[in-house]
Amino acid sequence: MTDTPIDPSDQDRALAGELALRVLPAEEERAARARERSDPAFAAEVEAWSQHLATFAEEIAPVTPSSGVWPRVEAAIQPVANDNGRVAFWRTWAVASTALLAASVAGVAILLARPEPAPIAPSAPEGGVTRVATLSLTDGGAPAVALAYDTATGKLFIAPTTALSRGTGVPHLWLVKPEGGVQLVGAIDGSATSRRTLTALLADEAGQARAVAISLEAPGHTPGADAPDGPVVATGELQPL
Amino acid sequence: MNAMLTRDELALALGRTGEGDRRAFKIVYEATSAKLLGVCLRILADRQLAEDVLQDTYLAVWRKASTFDATRASPITWLVTIARNRSIDRLRSAAPMRRSVPVEDAHDLADAAPLASDVIETTDEVGRLNTCLETLEDKVRTAIRTAFMEGVTYDALASRENVPPGTMKSWIRRGLLRLRSCLET
Repeated sequence: MTDTPIDPSDQDRALAGELALRVLPAEEERAARARERSDPAFAAEVEAWSQHLATFAEEIAPVTPSSGVWPRVEAAIQPVANDNGRVAFWRTWAVASTALLAASVAGVAILLARPEPAPIAPSAPEGGVTRVATLSLTDGGAPAVALAYDTATGKLFIAPTTALSRGTGVPHLWLVKPEGGVQLVGAIDGSATSRRTLTALLADEAGQARAVAISLEAPGHTPGADAPDGPVVATGELQPL
Repeated sequence: MNAMLTRDELALALGRTGEGDRRAFKIVYEATSAKLLGVCLRILADRQLAEDVLQDTYLAVWRKASTFDATRASPITWLVTIARNRSIDRLRSAAPMRRSVPVEDAHDLADAAPLASDVIETTDEVGRLNTCLETLEDKVRTAIRTAFMEGVTYDALASRENVPPGTMKSWIRRGLLRLRSCLET
């Protein structure tokens, strides 16, 4: 365990171990995750490490969950006995979205601070909450958009990290309501950072919404406020910062 | 609750879960949820938060079960990995840490009872890990174990041990490589 350099062939193996152990700082972890997605040999190495390391859990005593957990899980996976395909689709989607990782809020915070440091007034009784989401592509899971919303001012900040438009589709932003169903926010710029202030009605919805999603709609077409017509290309859980 | 399942039975139930079998999924939940909550609690300390992450974990299990490959992974370690990763993601997403009790107290939360595993894991795997851990220096073994149990990064480990992050990184990388070559001989 002295200072002899680590053999280069072992570097990848060590990195995979660090990723599985989750000891890397955020930036390095992101880079290693990207590598894991694109390099099957490296991904297999990470999986092997996870298997080895999970053995540690044997030392952890089980703790029986409250009786309310299973019913919530079960409710979330219920198939919808309904011939309305759109409702079924959104229900299924919402289940998937709750399970999405709470990705990299730190990255969003930095984005937020740069263009417009959101003033937080701790003395204000109705102090706003900043809610953030990282939307990942439904196809492949790569992060596509960082979004932040300030409940006090109704200001919404949207920063695409990947060009969202495929072909001629125009990206539209949706809020996923806590009780199910969706609410259209409107068309967004899919290739550059943008800001908007939500109307009172929408602001209320955005304060409650549990997730956000982006659909691609035909140019010139505005879908109904309660369901997209085009494909959903990115989704993300909306969480307090 | 706490149905005792063998590894093969659990692997079978997980496989069926991957085919959309809700009853099999419930069997998986009943056999493993206490273990996974233990894992979540070690990292998150807060019971409410841990149960929230537990719920997310099982929704992820429901979606990902079809990717579980019994020839490559043990079912319980596959599940533990998901629960642990989700707990760590939640821990790190809540930037100003909401650990409601000090780390030392959090240990007591989960370690009070002697372990009665819900799922019989072949004990030679555990034995092998322990044997290999024994070959590491104490400080390195402790660091790797703490990293697993609490989900902390190099920086946190380094400041606890009062060493530069680079030193901690070097300890752990070397320790991991040594562990791995031991595990695979």
